[in-house]
Amino acid sequence: MIRLENVTKVYEGGTIAANDVSLDIQKGEFVFLVGPSGSGKSTLIRLMLRDEPVTRGKIWVAGKDVTTLPRWKIPFLRRSVGTVFQDYKLLPNKTVTENVAFALEVLGRPRSVIAPQVVQVLDLVGLAEMGERYPRQLSGGEQQRVSVARAFVNRPPIMLCDEPTGNLDPKTSVGIMKLLDRINRTGTTIVMATHDHAIVDAMKRRVVALDYGKVTRDEATGRYERAAAEEE
Amino acid sequence: MSRVLFLIKEALISLRRNILIVAGAILAVFISLSLAFGALVVNEVLRINTIAWQQGVHVIAFLQDEGENGVASNAHAVLQSEVEGWDEVESVGYVSKSEAWIEYQEIFANQQELLDIDPNVLPASLRIELVDIAFHESVRFRLEQQQQVVRQVATAAESIEQLQNLSNVLNVLGLGMAVVLGLAAVVLIANTIRLAIYARRDEVSIMKLVGASNWFVRVPFLLEGFIEGVVGAALAVFAVWLGSTNLAKAGEGFALFRLDVGQQWFLRWGLLFLAFGAAAGVVGSLLGLSRYLRDADGTGPDVPTGF
Repeated sequence: MIRLENVTKVYEGGTIAANDVSLDIQKGEFVFLVGPSGSGKSTLIRLMLRDEPVTRGKIWVAGKDVTTLPRWKIPFLRRSVGTVFQDYKLLPNKTVTENVAFALEVLGRPRSVIAPQVVQVLDLVGLAEMGERYPRQLSGGEQQRVSVARAFVNRPPIMLCDEPTGNLDPKTSVGIMKLLDRINRTGTTIVMATHDHAIVDAMKRRVVALDYGKVTRDEATGRYERAAAEEE
Repeated sequence: MSRVLFLIKEALISLRRNILIVAGAILAVFISLSLAFGALVVNEVLRINTIAWQQGVHVIAFLQDEGENGVASNAHAVLQSEVEGWDEVESVGYVSKSEAWIEYQEIFANQQELLDIDPNVLPASLRIELVDIAFHESVRFRLEQQQQVVRQVATAAESIEQLQNLSNVLNVLGLGMAVVLGLAAVVLIANTIRLAIYARRDEVSIMKLVGASNWFVRVPFLLEGFIEGVVGAALAVFAVWLGSTNLAKAGEGFALFRLDVGQQWFLRWGLLFLAFGAAAGVVGSLLGLSRYLRDADGTGPDVPTGF
């Protein structure tokens, strides 16, 4: 579903954010990208979305070669990938319903299809009553639920999440993780960058650890830190 | 079709929800186009008046009475036909003594005391229109040679010439000002809309992240710019029209200077200014958006050398 081959990313100024990274992620997997700040987790996600170009290497996402994708095809790539970010990235001038519907509007779906799908997904994330509110009228956890709903509303095969719980308290984070877990169980591949130990340890999913842009560990059912896990 | 409707609706909703920014943009269009349009109206008024001043009687030759002091009884007619033959002269009108009296009575209808004169003292005259006002000196000279018949030569040509020169300068100034203000308007409008988009650049990036194509993001912004441009321009045209028409009404009967440029003129230039405002709005939106719609290129190093 997602394949990285010797991916290297060097930013202007010489910072190496990804150093010869190779990864193979199968359909339906739930993968944590872990590591300290600046280890290159977010960069990998941005590269997969073609938010930035790679310096070297190849990336395939949902069957598309992301690295050589012509510009005009970038929107098509992003429509097959749901994204959730730490700062929610909701449109401030749109209501919850409109925010979620927007992901379907860009696909050109007719109104008659959009309306019931939005209702359904808002129900899934537990915000059925909040459709007419604006993002600023919601708590952080609620906003992140809207963001998840928008990412999932067109049932993409892949969801990329960059620190989705980074701004949330532990209890709210658990709620978001349960949601992502449910979505994962529908067959959606999820890649999530995080530095939340508790979540990674509790979920017992595949863990890819990064440090200075290099993959230092890749375990099928890992914990956040290898050393800590062995000591316990 | 539903997509087009969606994008139009998007634009309208956005106009409503960003009302302050929108009002600012419309105000910018309104003020800058009002100034440009105002300058254009002033220029047109000057043009009309210059033309008006150039038409009509330029030289008047007052004549000796016929049959007196050795003036032949057909001297006026002879002189008229001679003057009509001159190259500098466009046309010649003859006003007899009795016609002069009628004219005199009309001019001083409100001043009874001036009407109490002997009608006979008013001379007959030739009213001469020149081909070009610049010939007035030579025509005056030639008329003054006819001392037998011509009593006195009067001409407003000098003052007309001065006015004309002044008006030419003002005309160039007015047109220059309209052009400069027009250009300033485009820059101001484009910049205001650019800033409005800058304030919403995060929205643009979010839309793109969700998979919106560039045109999908662009169309509502273009519509917004278009509407802001048209509304601002319409307000400007209306304001200038209102001001100008009222001024013209106030200046009615003020014979020397016409302030009315005519509804036809307003319609033509008003429509042009609407198009101008719309274009400025659309161009402003395009320019403002271009930065935030740029995509990352494909494979390639960010740093050209090294790594």
